[in-house]
Amino acid sequence: MSRRERARPARGGYRPARIPVATAAAPPALAKTAWRQAEARVTLHRDAGAGHRWLELAMPRAFPLPGAGQFVQLLLEAPAPVLLPRPMSVALVRRAAAGPVLGFLYAPVGDGTRALAALDVDDRVLVLGPLGRGFPLEVEGVPVLIAGGRGVAPLLFAAETLERQGRRCEFLFGARDAAHLVALAETRRRLDRMGGRLHLATDDGSRGVHGTVLELLDRIAPHLPAPRVIHACGPHPMLAAIARWGLRHSVPTFLAMESIMACGTGVCRGCPLPRSESERRRLSRARAPLPSLYGNPEFAMCCTDGPVFAAHALDWERLG
Amino acid sequence: MSRTPDLAVRIGPLRLKNPVLTASGTFGYGDEYAHVLDPKGLGAVITKTVTLKPRAGNPPARIAETAGGMLNSIGLENVGLERFRREKLPKLRALSATVVASLGGETPRELARLLEALGGEPGIGGFEINFSCPNVARGGAIYWAHARRLERTLAMLRPLTRAALIAKLSPDVTAIAELARGCEQGGADAVTAVNTFVGMAVDIGGGRSRLGRATGGLSGPAIKPLALARCHEVVRAVSIPVLGSGGIMNGRDALEFIAVGATAVQVGTASFIRPRAAAQVVEEMARLLAERGIRRIEAWRGCLEPAASPAPAAGRRA
Ligand SMILES: Cc1cc2nc3c(=O)[nH]c(=O)nc-3n(C[C@H](O)[C@H](O)[C@H](O)COP(=O)(O)OP(=O)(O)OC[C@H]3O[C@@H](n4cnc5c(N)ncnc54)[C@H](O)[C@@H]3O)c2cc1C
Ligand SMILES: Cc1cc2nc3c(=O)[nH]c(=O)nc-3n(C[C@H](O)[C@H](O)[C@H](O)COP(=O)(O)O)c2cc1C
Ligand code: FES
Repeated sequence: MSRRERARPARGGYRPARIPVATAAAPPALAKTAWRQAEARVTLHRDAGAGHRWLELAMPRAFPLPGAGQFVQLLLEAPAPVLLPRPMSVALVRRAAAGPVLGFLYAPVGDGTRALAALDVDDRVLVLGPLGRGFPLEVEGVPVLIAGGRGVAPLLFAAETLERQGRRCEFLFGARDAAHLVALAETRRRLDRMGGRLHLATDDGSRGVHGTVLELLDRIAPHLPAPRVIHACGPHPMLAAIARWGLRHSVPTFLAMESIMACGTGVCRGCPLPRSESERRRLSRARAPLPSLYGNPEFAMCCTDGPVFAAHALDWERLG
Repeated sequence: MSRTPDLAVRIGPLRLKNPVLTASGTFGYGDEYAHVLDPKGLGAVITKTVTLKPRAGNPPARIAETAGGMLNSIGLENVGLERFRREKLPKLRALSATVVASLGGETPRELARLLEALGGEPGIGGFEINFSCPNVARGGAIYWAHARRLERTLAMLRPLTRAALIAKLSPDVTAIAELARGCEQGGADAVTAVNTFVGMAVDIGGGRSRLGRATGGLSGPAIKPLALARCHEVVRAVSIPVLGSGGIMNGRDALEFIAVGATAVQVGTASFIRPRAAAQVVEEMARLLAERGIRRIEAWRGCLEPAASPAPAAGRRA
């Protein structure tokens, strides 16, 4: 185990970005409707280990650049085994002369993603995006990024965006066991380049700290200077635990959620996540146009109100 | 060289530049897709069903994809009458498109109150009454599946607006033709056939429904042949225009519905897959007609062999 992998307290030296910022508690403003549906070409498609694939798509030049935490809907050309497009987090944005290249880390788990896995270089995919609200990376504080499994990919994208703001991150990465730390080598390489610090945890102790990312967080957090901000992506039970941790410690915490989706654009109302009691009360009182397309006090839509939510916004008892 | 065919149709007092509408609940309140598809180019935009009070909708999961289709259990989530009037209607008017507002109620009285409030609002060319939601406990498809109830309700609504009044029916009934006739006798200008079909999907891992409720409404290509047959049945039963809905994904599908006598069609689930789907249906339909040398959509309507459509007046009125 390398020194870098060990949970290690930070020694300061952080340069929090001097960006005018909304308060951490305020949700980011509604994303402007800028999505498009465009045909993309597969430029790279390879195995990423731990049962995952890495996919790169060349987009037309005019395609709006997604931010970290945003997603797109990938639609296979007919004949496809599935009807609806599949939501996928953007894990990489690379500018190129011909147009941006988008990268995705995904697991072939069902009919749609297995069909995706069969694509060859130069095959076509329809991409709808960028969709949703990404991580509010303007929120001040030492960035603590917490990834579970394939959640690592959008958070690496976030880490790179933070680096451009001159902010280095603490990157916590957990999985069942060493074999499930997907794309670990690449994660380490990219974090090294950015000067981010990688901390690992596995449930069985085969790599990094023996335990969950939450235990890792408990160890590291006391050594980080305030203010801190958490951005997390991974399985819902993990996110629920992190959300509770953030609420308990009054650390602004943002979680990238998932839901089964149809449209991805807010029209079908098919991707509800239960709002927290406090949020429900706040929205029930509101009279002016609400920050949500439909102002539903009971449910937020994952696709347009999220997929990234502040910890206080959702009802973790019903989600964890 | 073929000319662009004349696609204009009439639904009661409403003249549409073409017979393609967006289906309720699949195009939001009209402005969400406006940056990729100019709604002015469509026959009309039908908005998400609005009810007197806002509705939060059903608990998750609300969507389950099935072979060639999708089940939904949205439960009529909508902003309610007040917000619709205050926030959505001004945006709809700003689109300068033809707008049909979809209304939903648990009782005839509720529908009357909605229409009293909206019936005279400028910028609404018609109302589609949703008599067919499969996903609500009260006031859904089962409650409205009585010809007399539909007739009495429409007779009560008719005086409340001069805009087009359209009745949207569920396919999950014993005799859709009777219900359609009830609507016609009550004074409806048109009938929409059909809403989603009640369906189920089970997660065999957990032994549970894949939706939050046991059942949902099935839409998409999977229902097209079923919807087409219901549409055909309704066309033969009434002499008012019929709007076809169910699995229409492209111009060919639309022409099938019009061939059995539908005056217009609605594009639903297709918009989730390709937000420009409704506009593409218009373009394809025009091209296909032009290729066949057909200059007016009216000449295509009801072109199915007369033997298959015996009712002489069926769907022939413009
Ligand atoms: C905003 C967002 C971002 C995502 N980003 C990624 C990503 O970066 N990489 C990745 O591998 N996957 C990601 N997903 C999940 C991915 O969309 C699903 O794995 C995919 O839709 C499954 O499709 P399928 O046809 O392969 O499986 P299906 O046959 O449709 O489903 C397989 C099983 O997974 C369940 N399921 C499907 N979708 C979801 C979901 N979204 N949440 C929970 N359960 C689901 C189904 O109910 C079923 O049991 C994301 C989802 C969302 C909503
Ligand atoms: C997610 C979803 C929401 C819907 N909401 C409504 C609604 O609010 N009111 C209504 O009358 N029909 C609603 N429908 C039914 C559609 O308008 C349409 O009649 C049906 O989906 C069949 O057409 P399609 O196969 O083209 O989707 C909804 C359908 C879907 C898929
Ligand atoms: S997926 Fe349609 S509203 Fe979110």
